[in-house]
Amino acid sequence: MTRPRRDPRAERASIQVAGEARPRFDRTARRTGSGRPRRDPRAERAGQRVAGESRPRYDLSQTVRFDAAVITEAQPKTAAVAPPKILVLENPAFLVAVVPDAPGGRLSSHDRQVLGAARALAGREGGVAILTLGPCEGVGPAGADRCLPLEAVEGYDPASQTARVAAALTALAARHVLFPESLDGGDLARRVAVRLGEPVFTNAEVVAANGLVRPAKGRRVEQRVAPGMLATVAPDAVAEYGGPPREARLLSVDGEAPTPSPQKNPKRIVSAARVPADPATVPLALAEFVVSAGNGLTDLDTFRQVVAALHATPGASRVLCDAGLMPRHTQVGASGTVLAATCYFALGISGAPQHLQGVAGCEHVVAVNTDLHAAMIERAGLAIVQDAQVVMPALLRLLEQEAGENA
Amino acid sequence: MKIVVLLSAGRHPVSGAPVLPRMEAQAIRIAAALGEAVGLHAGPDAEAVREALGLGLTHIEHIAVADGLDPVPALAARLAAMAPDLVLAGRRGQGGPESGIVPYALAEALDLLLIPDVVAVSGGPDTLTLDQSLGRGALRRVAVRGPVLATVHPDAAAPLAYAFGKARRGTIELVGAAAKATDVPEAVVEERPYRRRPKLVKGAPTGGSAAERLKAATGEGGSATKGRLLVEPDPEEAAREILAHLRQIGVLADASKSAK
Ligand SMILES: Cc1cc2nc3c(=O)[nH]c(=O)nc-3n(C[C@H](O)[C@H](O)[C@H](O)COP(=O)(O)OP(=O)(O)OC[C@H]3O[C@@H](n4cnc5c(N)ncnc54)[C@H](O)[C@@H]3O)c2cc1C
Repeated sequence: MTRPRRDPRAERASIQVAGEARPRFDRTARRTGSGRPRRDPRAERAGQRVAGESRPRYDLSQTVRFDAAVITEAQPKTAAVAPPKILVLENPAFLVAVVPDAPGGRLSSHDRQVLGAARALAGREGGVAILTLGPCEGVGPAGADRCLPLEAVEGYDPASQTARVAAALTALAARHVLFPESLDGGDLARRVAVRLGEPVFTNAEVVAANGLVRPAKGRRVEQRVAPGMLATVAPDAVAEYGGPPREARLLSVDGEAPTPSPQKNPKRIVSAARVPADPATVPLALAEFVVSAGNGLTDLDTFRQVVAALHATPGASRVLCDAGLMPRHTQVGASGTVLAATCYFALGISGAPQHLQGVAGCEHVVAVNTDLHAAMIERAGLAIVQDAQVVMPALLRLLEQEAGENA
Repeated sequence: MKIVVLLSAGRHPVSGAPVLPRMEAQAIRIAAALGEAVGLHAGPDAEAVREALGLGLTHIEHIAVADGLDPVPALAARLAAMAPDLVLAGRRGQGGPESGIVPYALAEALDLLLIPDVVAVSGGPDTLTLDQSLGRGALRRVAVRGPVLATVHPDAAAPLAYAFGKARRGTIELVGAAAKATDVPEAVVEERPYRRRPKLVKGAPTGGSAAERLKAATGEGGSATKGRLLVEPDPEEAAREILAHLRQIGVLADASKSAK
């Protein structure tokens, strides 16, 4: 048996684009006649390109049939610009519940991570339900399919809060329930666990459908179990949900009649009052906002006034502590205190590596220095090249003026 | 006032040597300031908690419970007999499963009020004031009536110094053994050596290049690359910029609010 003989010249002539002075050939056209269609690697590559990113990215999991070179046109460029579509899950096969801390009605980043973990557990079929005490905003974009707002408990009353959450969880019949392993979330999780009589898998560092992993015995071993009913998720261990926003459809649970503390002696907590941290005395490692003085500062009296006026915690570089100008416990850096502050305000500090190590965890840095090329200026979100001795009185004047206007 | 401090056989987080967990040592300090306190340990060997005698306790009661058994029923029975006004425990164990569930199980078994993460306790037998840590040095001051179980937070005052003489004078008394414990069906736990996992980098772009992730990790990305630089501004203008920036971050209260 013989194959029909190919005629390359005729084939070539048939794909020539008509009406051009220079001969051009359309190789994407499906060849009639014999032989395998010709691959077009460039078109295949272009077809794998993820639309709408400035840096080219290719989705290699997508196998492009080599004869389907038109795939590029099938991806309209406008798809990325359009607002992300809200994902709707009609009938989830099961629910993964999340009970966030949500301080002040907003999700903390730890809460978002727990929602990301719940999303990973839910997979394609499952839904994520969030149980908030009081209203909470932005739960849909964080990955919640359902939202069940419970009535907030007024005052500090962990017992009735536990009763409310436990009742709602029983009514919801979620397959898994995740809590953040924070001060409040970890407490609530354990209370709910002993109330429901379920084991709780605390401080999970890996959350996946095939198993949860937690450190134990002083981080010597890790324990892995199949996901149970209750678990708490460690901070900064699981990524937040990054997909399109979800529906966060409001749920109502009928069996939710909060029994008013079924204890024998209900009023055991007489009073509870919040005492905010005093920035002047709080340990440096716990401080929220640190104002720090360096070798470029000569006027330490004004510095102390600025610290007091800004309601900040004082810090210093090693030079000042060695000279005895500032107490040793204020030293920031590798051989002093490593900060966990939100904002660090450096006055006259050059930013030696040993000092910057102490500031590495600070999200925002403001620096005042006379040297444009100081490392601290480079590190700062707001950098001011100016003499600190004139900026400090200006700050004080401005704060005083504002206080006067509002008095 | 009757105070009981729950003691556990801990392991040092670095060396693995037997040691009294720091939070329990801190609990002893809190208890010693309030009055006479008794230690309570359930476990195979009381030698594990002898260190507590040098840190401020004079007497420890020991319930013999075989290794690997749940200590909660034995502890609950003994606590019910002692009827203390205040029970102190660490917020987590150290060197064991470290789940921190024992105080909660005890509070449920005895119907005690539980206040977690306490850094200081004051007051008398009828009304106690507990300072509860809310993180970052903020506190919640809770006044409670009646018996209470509190767990101690690491931010509490540092433990008392170890005193050898006191440790020798202190006594450990065996107060009983747990009845043949019923075997609780344990969840299937698979254990393997701990493996460090990469820490989540905050603010790293998802799917960014390695260089972008490195920048985010070293803090050179984010605010620093987008940072504002003012060269030789007028001092008044600089002050205005600084205050506006601090307010935008949220570490400084608004001028109108702070005046109130
Ligand atoms: C083993 C070791 C450990 C160390 N650990 C630490 C540590 O934990 N913490 C620590 O801080 N240091 C530590 N150091 C010291 C560190 O290396 C630096 O020497 C120190 O941080 C420098 O402090 P500084 O920025 O205040 O002073 P300098 O480096 O002298 O910087 C002063 C800055 O102020 C600026 N300036 C001058 N005049 C003015 C003005 N009028 N207005 C505004 N700015 C002005 C200058 O331009 C300069 O940038 C350690 C060093 C070693 C060797």
